[in-house]
Amino acid sequence: MRLIPREVETLWTLFTGPVVWALHFLACYAAAAIYCAKASEAPFSFDALRLSLFAITVVALVAILAAAWLSWRQWGFGSGDPPHDAPTRHDRLLFQGFATLLLSGLSFIAVIFVSVPLLFIEVCAR
Amino acid sequence: MVPGELGFVRHLALGLRRSISESLEGRTQGEAPTILRYLLPFTALILVGCGGQQSALDPSGEESEAVYRLFIVMVIGGVAIWLGVSALYIYAARHRQTSWPPAQASALIGWGGVAFPVVVLLALLGYAVWLMPVVRPWNSLAGTDGAIEVTGEQFWWRIRYPGVNGNPAFETANEIRLPVGQPATFSLDATDVIHSFWIPALGGKMDMIPGRTNFLTLTPKRTGIYRAPCAEFCGTSHAYMAFSVVVMEQEDFEVWRRRQISGHERSADQGWELMLRHGCLGCHSLRGEKIGGATAPDLTLIGARHSIGAGTLANTAENIARFIRSPVSVKPGAKMPAFDMLPQREIDDMARYLGGLK
Amino acid sequence: MTNAASSERTADVQEEDLRRVWANPTGWRYWTSVNNTQIGLWYGSAAFIFMLFAGVLALLVRLQLAVPDNDFLSADMFNQAFTLHGTVMMFLFAVPIFEAVAIFLLPSMLGARELPFPRLSAFGFWSFALGGVFVCGSIFFNAAPNSGWFMYPPLATDKEYSGIGADIWLLGLSFIEVASIAAAVEIIVGIMKCRAPGMRINMMPLFAWYLLIVGGMILFAFPPLIAGDILFEMERMFDWPFFDAKRGGDPLLWQHLFWIFGHPEVYIIFLPAIALMAMIVPTFAQRPIIGYSWIVLAAVGTGFLSFGLWVHHMFTTGLPQISLAFFSAASEAVAIPTGVQIFVFIATMLAGRVIFSLPMLFGAGGLAIFVIGGLTGVMVALAPFDWQAHDTYFVVAHLHYVLIGGMLFPVLAGIYYYYPLINARKLSDRLGKIAFWLMFIGFNVAFFPMHLTGLRGMPRRVFTYPAEVGWDLLNLISTVGAFIFATGVALVVIDILRPKHREPKGKMNPWNAGTLEWISEPEENWGVRSIPIIKSRYPLWDQPGLIDDINKGRFYLPDTQDGRRETLVTSVLDADPVQCLRVGGTSYLTIISALSLGGVFIALTFHWWLLTVLCGIVTLGAILIWLWTGTSEIPKRNERDIGLGVTLPLYVSGPASVGWWAMFITMAGDGTAFASLMFGYFFYWTIHPDFTAGLPGPGAGWPIVAVALFALAWLAMLLARHANANDRVWMARLSLLGSVPITLAACLAGLAGPYLHDMQPTVHVYPAIVWVISLWTVLHGLVAIIMQLYCLAGSFAGRLTASYDADLRNVMLYWHFLMITAMISFGVLGLFPEVR
Repeated sequence: MRLIPREVETLWTLFTGPVVWALHFLACYAAAAIYCAKASEAPFSFDALRLSLFAITVVALVAILAAAWLSWRQWGFGSGDPPHDAPTRHDRLLFQGFATLLLSGLSFIAVIFVSVPLLFIEVCAR
Repeated sequence: MVPGELGFVRHLALGLRRSISESLEGRTQGEAPTILRYLLPFTALILVGCGGQQSALDPSGEESEAVYRLFIVMVIGGVAIWLGVSALYIYAARHRQTSWPPAQASALIGWGGVAFPVVVLLALLGYAVWLMPVVRPWNSLAGTDGAIEVTGEQFWWRIRYPGVNGNPAFETANEIRLPVGQPATFSLDATDVIHSFWIPALGGKMDMIPGRTNFLTLTPKRTGIYRAPCAEFCGTSHAYMAFSVVVMEQEDFEVWRRRQISGHERSADQGWELMLRHGCLGCHSLRGEKIGGATAPDLTLIGARHSIGAGTLANTAENIARFIRSPVSVKPGAKMPAFDMLPQREIDDMARYLGGLK
Repeated sequence: MTNAASSERTADVQEEDLRRVWANPTGWRYWTSVNNTQIGLWYGSAAFIFMLFAGVLALLVRLQLAVPDNDFLSADMFNQAFTLHGTVMMFLFAVPIFEAVAIFLLPSMLGARELPFPRLSAFGFWSFALGGVFVCGSIFFNAAPNSGWFMYPPLATDKEYSGIGADIWLLGLSFIEVASIAAAVEIIVGIMKCRAPGMRINMMPLFAWYLLIVGGMILFAFPPLIAGDILFEMERMFDWPFFDAKRGGDPLLWQHLFWIFGHPEVYIIFLPAIALMAMIVPTFAQRPIIGYSWIVLAAVGTGFLSFGLWVHHMFTTGLPQISLAFFSAASEAVAIPTGVQIFVFIATMLAGRVIFSLPMLFGAGGLAIFVIGGLTGVMVALAPFDWQAHDTYFVVAHLHYVLIGGMLFPVLAGIYYYYPLINARKLSDRLGKIAFWLMFIGFNVAFFPMHLTGLRGMPRRVFTYPAEVGWDLLNLISTVGAFIFATGVALVVIDILRPKHREPKGKMNPWNAGTLEWISEPEENWGVRSIPIIKSRYPLWDQPGLIDDINKGRFYLPDTQDGRRETLVTSVLDADPVQCLRVGGTSYLTIISALSLGGVFIALTFHWWLLTVLCGIVTLGAILIWLWTGTSEIPKRNERDIGLGVTLPLYVSGPASVGWWAMFITMAGDGTAFASLMFGYFFYWTIHPDFTAGLPGPGAGWPIVAVALFALAWLAMLLARHANANDRVWMARLSLLGSVPITLAACLAGLAGPYLHDMQPTVHVYPAIVWVISLWTVLHGLVAIIMQLYCLAGSFAGRLTASYDADLRNVMLYWHFLMITAMISFGVLGLFPEVR
């Protein structure tokens, strides 16, 4: 028995990457907003916050990579080329794998985009 | 025909004539080569496209210059991308000989739709995010003690210069004067609705929100007179809410500041008597006078300002009189009551007196 | 031979039966039609008329701005005109037109007779039409909203600054938002569950993919605005100070809630238009789309990213730079999926042979315009540049380039493309070309100069400007362009309206498209004559004889039974047939409930409390009758032979049923609105050192009691469902009956906290937000009681039994959501002040 079944029979796996992006984005935004609003009460520095958000970024990227690997596997490691439009369950699965892989790629890029501010913005200034 | 429509037709004709003649004369800055002036309307577009006392394309401050550079970079890149995409599209629509193999077309999606934008956008994002703390440095928060307080009210600006270097604080309205080359920090607030503080020639805008205080630091680099509109819709006369910014040499600024601090110099004048009698000082103030209200714009040295009614009218005695007679017809929604029951002579006297306060 | 003849005769009889069952009523009863194809036409026409109305407003605005110091419009009338222009274009045109196109096209495109909830569509349409007329009509009484389409408080909340127009905006549009969510439910469930057998998700038309994503976006984007509307109206009506800074409120909360809605809204508008292009381009490139999966990536990616952009409308509000930068980053990232879509079209054209028809011309013009809007979008998404450009005519130019290039031109392409489905004839090629060039040139003449006007310092929403600043010529050019553009639009209208009955009818599928919507015939109401088995993404290209087989009734459901309208329900991934669904037929209940609900909103606007209550009762009654007579009906037979040797159940319950999905989707939206209210609670916590302002809270005791009682009622409901499923009828009835007083007690306990601690909602925002969250939960509790009583009545009436338990299972789903809501709301209200 596998931990994750080889072929996942649900629509929802498609959204894994974007959901990770959304959680990462929400974490960054909420953490920074609350920290900057309550900066006077915060027991740690803004740099500590940035570092932990970097850590969260790494976790998010790893999660997306994991999703990408699973979808790559579902896509048969690229053994068949798109368009995957045959009226078979097999092609439907390949399509799901490929679309999920593409979405993981986009989510990966988007997470990197969102982490750019962590690099340049060093204080809670307005 | 209703008068409004007649007025519109007249304006249309006048406006058309005026615009064309002005463009021909190259009135706005006039720095374009002579030959361009005859290439209407493109010339006109280019001419009016840059200069002006209220233009972000004619930067006179540190922030506006940095943003202008960013803008130029983006325009060049944008034009190139637009031409590229359009050319590709036209080619795709018109090609007749051979169709691309699907795999090749598919690869184009990856390169053109993903790889290229990712690289360009990431570079651009890095540039802009790096720029943010550069143009709006975070140490501005620490130095807010000397901030010029600006409060937006429907539809004018209350301006309070802080007491610094032994100079007492003073209040004025609808005109800000700044010494050139020095960072000026503004503390921005509003009493009624949201307004927005924007001096296009010096830098970007910052909203003035009731219950919040925002700060903005701008560094003017050239002397001059600039116009600054309210940039957040704030009600009926949003269009008539602007202020002037006068950037001066340091010495001139000190002279102006001393003159402001010394306040109102009363002269035995019919206009002054009338102002007292009609209760102007119930709402307005003239610095140094014992009585004076705080609900309306300060009038100290109003004659030296570059406009009246918060950027609504040119500062002339006739315009002041017009405003006193019926503020609402000049500026819809203004809170000042009309004084059209007074004889014209009295209004003129007060207007002349105010216009002389320099 | 005799056999063939007899089967043909059977087919004719079946066809007559079908036609009769699906026919629209005639005479004045025509307006009680509920057929989606019909409703789609009404919806589209109404939205188009609203667009023309808003366009006229825009022309008035442009006339006023043609020359400096103009007095064509008064300041107040100008403010009403631009507010209504924005509002109508966004809420009454851009979103509804795609809902219209969707419900018009989807049934035949998916190979379905009908979407699952035609009555809901009718209800949505009537809500939309009434709300729209109410909002638009206000300007004729000089009572239109005049605070901008974004309605920022305090300008729009404080009665000193804004009149009844603000209430009309809030209540009129809340009503329309209800219609949008109704459409979202219809579209999502329709696409997931009503596709023709064999139309697996890798074979769905791209239009359906886009609409599925857009439906999901509506579900998460509109509720925050509804939550904002509630806070807003509570402030205007009862002086609860949510946005009043003097009493702890904050105008920025509205901006957050509005733009959490407002930015996804842009993509809710844009994606369906691109979806039309995704149908048009393959047809004229004469080949399947290249990059089907890429389009799915783009649609899903845009759907998600669009929720991370809202603060870029607030770059100048003084939020911390790091927050601005996060949103800059996401706003740049969203350009990637947008670029992908453009390149998918280009790649498809490169790989095919393009017939450059009128729809393609509109598409190309739209693309040229949209790319400029996209590029300026990349610019304004960068905070430093936006600090200059924000709230100037640069943004006016940007947004019109995006919306007109990305939405209006593709929609017009869609109209020229799909018009033969409405009237069996094409629109005029010659008129269309003239209209296109007028619009294309006029648009650019009008809007391109605005980039300069804005950067030269002209703010938005000014009713006039002084002569000496140097905007005169630019504005005059814009006005001239606007009129050229309007001439083009007028030509399109003339082309659509001119009588065409003398022209010969065109052939079916005149463009030789490959997708299934082209099998539908304008004069037939049944979506498809028989429901085909799909084996390709472009079945009309790849499945020879398909049209003939469909129209001869050789596929599923060629006949009708019991005089009912029927369609197939299939599984989500592989579209295996699972149920024969009987959908609602013609009914006046939809109009009554929509009009009476409209009455509630309109009466509220004018504070006619008695009428509000009366209309509310009528609405509730109409909806209950509608549910009782039109849903979860126990069929005479359990199964139905749908042809080709397949027999399907007529009744299913739980996740297999469309009703359960509708409840789930509705509750997802409802949960989003609740989350938005909770966001407000924590927002106030972040902006104040002590957000309670030293005022008493609800205490921990009563909220905990409330949670406990809700849990008890929930357990009773679980027991009821379980007992019912095991045919222990009396046990089920007793549990249902028992849960009613427990729920009532839970509601009372929920209100006891704030009430007994004398929390005054008008004093400060803290008591106000506690009250509003408590009331939200309690109101849901009261609705739950109605549902419990409804199920109880159903049990006694014999329409809720062990095997026919759809109602109870849907109510149970509602209860799961209610339980989560109650736990979060009372848990936070009771405990957060203690632990913070």
